[in-house]
Amino acid sequence: MKIERLLFFLIFIVSIFLLSGCWSKKELTDLAIVAALGIDKNEQGRYVGTMQIINPGNVASGLQGGGGNQGPPVSIVSGTGDTIVELSRNTSRKLSRRLYYAHTNLVVISEELAKEEAINEILDSLERDAQFRSTAIIVIAQGKKASDIVKVLTAIDKIPANKVIKTLRITEKTWGENIAVNVQEAIKTLVSPGKELVVSGFRLSGDVSKGTKTENTQQTEPSALLYAGSLAIFKNGKLVDWIDGEASRGSLFLLDKLKSSAIAINWKGKEEAVTYELIRQKTKIMAKMENGTPRVSIKVEAEGNLGEIRAAADVTDPDVLLNIEKAIEKEIKKEINQAVQQAKTYKADIFGFGEALHRTNPKVWKKMKSNWNDVYFPEVKTEIVVDAFVRRTGLRNNPHKVNK
Amino acid sequence: MEKARISLYQLFVLILLFELGSAILVPLAIEAKQDSWLSILFGMAGGLFLFWIHYRLFLYYPELSPPEYMQKLLGKIAGNLLAFCYIILFIYLAARVLRDFGEMLLTFAYLETPLFMVNALLMLVIIYAVSKGIEVVARTGELFFVSIYLLAITGFILIVFSGLIDVNNLKPILEEGIFPVIKVFYTQTLFFPFGEVIVFTMIFPYVTKRKKVIKVGLFAIGLSGINLAITMAINIGVLGVDLTSRSQFPLLSTIQSIQVAEFLERLDVFFMIATVISIYFKVSIYFYAAVASTAIIFKIKEPSKLTYPMGLIVLFMSVTIASSYAEHLKEGLEFVTRYLHPFLLILFPLLLLGIAFFKNRKRSTQPSP
Amino acid sequence: MTMSLFSLSKKMKKLKLQKKQTQQTGHPQPVKAIHSALQDQIDYIKEKTGNSTDVNIRKLQLGDGIGPNVAVVFIEGIADSKAINDFIIESTMNHRTVHNSRPLFEILLEDVVALGDVKEITDWENLFLSLMSGESIILVDGSHKALSASTRGGEQRSIQEPSSQVTVRGPRDGFTESIRTNTALIRRRIQNPNLWMENMKIGSVTKTDVSIMYIKGIAKEDIVQEVRNRLKSIEIDSILESGYIEQFIEDEALTTFPTLYHTERPDMVAGNLLEGRVAIVVNGTPFVLIAPAVFIQFFQSVEDYYGRADIATALRFLRILIFFISIIAPAAYIAITTFHQEMIPTQLLIAIAAQRETVPFPALVEALIMEVSFEILREAGVRMPRAVGSAISIVGALVIGQAAVQAGIVSPAMVIVVAITAIANFATPAFAVAISSRLIRFGFMFAAATFGFYGIILGVIILAVHLCSLRSFGVPYLTPMAPLIVENLGDTIVRLPLWAQKKRPRLFSSELENRVGENQKPQPPKSKGMVNSIIEKGDQDEN
Repeated sequence: MKIERLLFFLIFIVSIFLLSGCWSKKELTDLAIVAALGIDKNEQGRYVGTMQIINPGNVASGLQGGGGNQGPPVSIVSGTGDTIVELSRNTSRKLSRRLYYAHTNLVVISEELAKEEAINEILDSLERDAQFRSTAIIVIAQGKKASDIVKVLTAIDKIPANKVIKTLRITEKTWGENIAVNVQEAIKTLVSPGKELVVSGFRLSGDVSKGTKTENTQQTEPSALLYAGSLAIFKNGKLVDWIDGEASRGSLFLLDKLKSSAIAINWKGKEEAVTYELIRQKTKIMAKMENGTPRVSIKVEAEGNLGEIRAAADVTDPDVLLNIEKAIEKEIKKEINQAVQQAKTYKADIFGFGEALHRTNPKVWKKMKSNWNDVYFPEVKTEIVVDAFVRRTGLRNNPHKVNK
Repeated sequence: MEKARISLYQLFVLILLFELGSAILVPLAIEAKQDSWLSILFGMAGGLFLFWIHYRLFLYYPELSPPEYMQKLLGKIAGNLLAFCYIILFIYLAARVLRDFGEMLLTFAYLETPLFMVNALLMLVIIYAVSKGIEVVARTGELFFVSIYLLAITGFILIVFSGLIDVNNLKPILEEGIFPVIKVFYTQTLFFPFGEVIVFTMIFPYVTKRKKVIKVGLFAIGLSGINLAITMAINIGVLGVDLTSRSQFPLLSTIQSIQVAEFLERLDVFFMIATVISIYFKVSIYFYAAVASTAIIFKIKEPSKLTYPMGLIVLFMSVTIASSYAEHLKEGLEFVTRYLHPFLLILFPLLLLGIAFFKNRKRSTQPSP
Repeated sequence: MTMSLFSLSKKMKKLKLQKKQTQQTGHPQPVKAIHSALQDQIDYIKEKTGNSTDVNIRKLQLGDGIGPNVAVVFIEGIADSKAINDFIIESTMNHRTVHNSRPLFEILLEDVVALGDVKEITDWENLFLSLMSGESIILVDGSHKALSASTRGGEQRSIQEPSSQVTVRGPRDGFTESIRTNTALIRRRIQNPNLWMENMKIGSVTKTDVSIMYIKGIAKEDIVQEVRNRLKSIEIDSILESGYIEQFIEDEALTTFPTLYHTERPDMVAGNLLEGRVAIVVNGTPFVLIAPAVFIQFFQSVEDYYGRADIATALRFLRILIFFISIIAPAAYIAITTFHQEMIPTQLLIAIAAQRETVPFPALVEALIMEVSFEILREAGVRMPRAVGSAISIVGALVIGQAAVQAGIVSPAMVIVVAITAIANFATPAFAVAISSRLIRFGFMFAAATFGFYGIILGVIILAVHLCSLRSFGVPYLTPMAPLIVENLGDTIVRLPLWAQKKRPRLFSSELENRVGENQKPQPPKSKGMVNSIIEKGDQDEN
């Protein structure tokens, strides 16, 4: 009896395994691993998707597979459709494998498209899809088509998508005029009435047609080069304008995303004489109501070293350092102010002042919510307090003097 | 009743795993927005009270299982009828949890697999475990409890270290006043997951030290409530209210957001392990309660023989109770919490306790010869 | 000590007698009594043994009578011929003066046979039992009784280092095929009269000697009784190894996991006896069974107790990890490459994808090819004569490692996985568990190939339920983790220092008093003076 039951059970299990035939199974050799997805719009108003598909044999310089470095590390495939899912399925006519989005770490949206229509409609399919990772980074193709950014081969990082992401991350950390925003953060910002989206742009210099050939990676100075561009400001999901330079660094200060940077200040009348290497900073934004108008106080604490001194300055003297600190504070304040002013002109609250108000005065916020960007945000009074500290001055104290 | 002995620690582990079960996966109490953690804690307080009711009832009849004392309290026919209602409830809830699980697995990892297959496999494992008896289920509980907690702690540390939590997402507290929180409490969290602790009345008679059941039970419910509240707070902290409420499985989205050191990312497997194991326990306990009650009502000597047919009922029910996930959720939130749970989880136990109180008072006031 | 040993052996004899009586009552048919004439006796033995050439019958003359009146019967090879020559034959021949007043039998027993263990035998069945176990039988003309003298011996393997459980630190002696040597090795370690031993013969044809050993007062009485009962109820023609017994007395037959521990090491047996377990020693094999066995025991090595606690703990964690690796590694590889490509970092995925690009098989088939060919190699390596072994390893390394990869049949990643799995499997300290994990591994591979990680997790749950449902002589297999017994957790995956392990395993030892005394934690000398005075002395010397 017991043996019979066991036998039945075993047959049942085995038949489940055999019959199931592996529904969700996908062998690696049947997958086209998409590294980056570029989205454009063509003349007919349909979406054009450009997928950067990894060619594993040409990326990994392994033992086998023969000549590892002969072919390009990625291949490009594109499809058109009225929706994102449609264009993705449409590509199957050109591809022998299934598109696999779980390793898509980069989404490029063309500037034209972002200006024309709200990008949240595009993001829905990405968010909903089980394969797609919401940690993928979004960039805007600045002045180019998204497909151009996706197509170009890069030298050091073999997979172009990786190059874009790493560049953004590194420059966010060491320079601070760009920001790596992923899909999830973008959606979070888009749905929040008290904050608008900022996304980095990516630019392409040189010739696209040359950039798609492997020769592009076999020269010391590539003919086509991808590099991080300006910051794109969105309002209601549409791109309104770009900011760059000091204003974009000011924005990163306000977003509390800045990790380190180099800030040059004037000293004793000499322009850009001392360079301050920021190593960490913390920004706090507090909102409150004052006489019926919102007032935002911004408090920045910056810490860093002196990286370069090109004027006579006695940095062994703490008082001198204090003065330098003041100059730095002024410079940072200026940058932040620039950013705030720019955002106000676009009537786009990219810094989340509205969210800050929501946290402290939920009742007032309820009334202002619907008109925040257009009516209240440009009227917000800001009060900026910067505390900068110079901790060290490098291996030398005073700069050398040339005595001749 | 099988001859089994459950230690207090095993009871504690089972209650904890049961409470965390499916509740940790879904956006629990998200109608209360950023205050959902508060709603959960209220629900926990309600759960503590309900547990006390079940415990008092158990103290009146420490040797008897619920179907038996229901017969004593209400008479043979009415008692059996009520016990039968509970069997159906347990089977239905087991099927619901199984469905939840199947839907989750299908949504995030096994898109092309039929729901029936995924559910059938887990149900087979559950049938196997339950047919081995409650002791074995309890022992596996002890075994997995440690691993689940290690996993949870690791996940927590990773989330904290990747700097994902934005405390601002939890502010402002009580934006709309206390009323929405209370409303979520009495429409959801009181019943799911805390009211469901009623299923443990079937397990009480096995516990070795009866006097301490209340202490252990309250502690387990309290801890599970705190765990759920922390989980929900972390979900909201990482994802924000909007994303959490739109997520079918916020914990999955939270775990997917983890990116530490360019290496510790894509940790979905964490989520899958936690899910399968916790759902396994939740369904097992419901299923065990259903099987054991049936065996008592119909006087079947070997409950393990019931596991196969009843397991198939749960399996088919789980596939057929709703045609879509949305319908399934709606059913759970509207129908079950409105028309089933208030009566079966709160009203009837209170009623039984009242009857037991009067019956036993009469007996004790009578002068004993 | 000798006193106690003596009393113990007496006790054993008593037990033996009791057993014999019970056996006799068990078989009611009358036993043939021994003939009285010497020649009849000899003829009967010859007839019964089929004139086997190793049955030696030596007729002797006791006293100065005419013709042989005594015969010594023994089996060549299993009896100690030197002892027979010196203490039976020689002393019989030298015993010339016989008082006719006493019967020959008494003279033999009291004056002649110079051996310790001499018994009277009255029936043929016992005579043959004694004869076949290596004792020599002395037949006396005109008597219905015979003498059996304990001359067991003959050529045996000497005590050698055990080959199955090797340690760096620890005693070097291992069990042999002789039951007496083995029990002696155990008794040498536990010199206490409470170490009790019970003998029985199992196997209707082989009549194999089996002893159970336990420490009275530490072992739980009902477990000892259970062992006794299960052994007694065995009905089989032969017991050739302790594995025969294992298969009859385990709790659950439908499992790949061992529910009895077997070892070649006397120190291991001694340690387990002291925890309240029961040892079953079987004649003819160096493997002693220990019952009850719990799961965690198979991940412990005796050396854990001889070395430092912290290192032992780390090693035990490693072994648990090893167990999981050896079960799950190939399954995880299959799951990742066919279902969950999203779960590994992009760079790693690309690396694996590049390798798999040229592989013509699905991942499951690839894994099966490698795993099966590895199992073939291992089986060949174990069974082949030593001299050929190295040739196999060369061929194996070439086939599995290089050629298969170069031919593009398997990917290097798969080779790595198989290699890790194999090494992990070798590193499991108990062979019995290692071999069962080999089998389970294939189940997991199929589960992973059909349902990915979901299949693996379900497999782990089934495994856990199965392990939880196992019992060894009534003791839950996963004690003390499930059910949790906090006071016994000190010797599981962690190994606390010996002075911190106060309690014996609660579920199978009756001795609940502490194993170690209070305040046993080693400490530096209380007064610093001792150390300081030496330093001061040194300083003074310098002056």
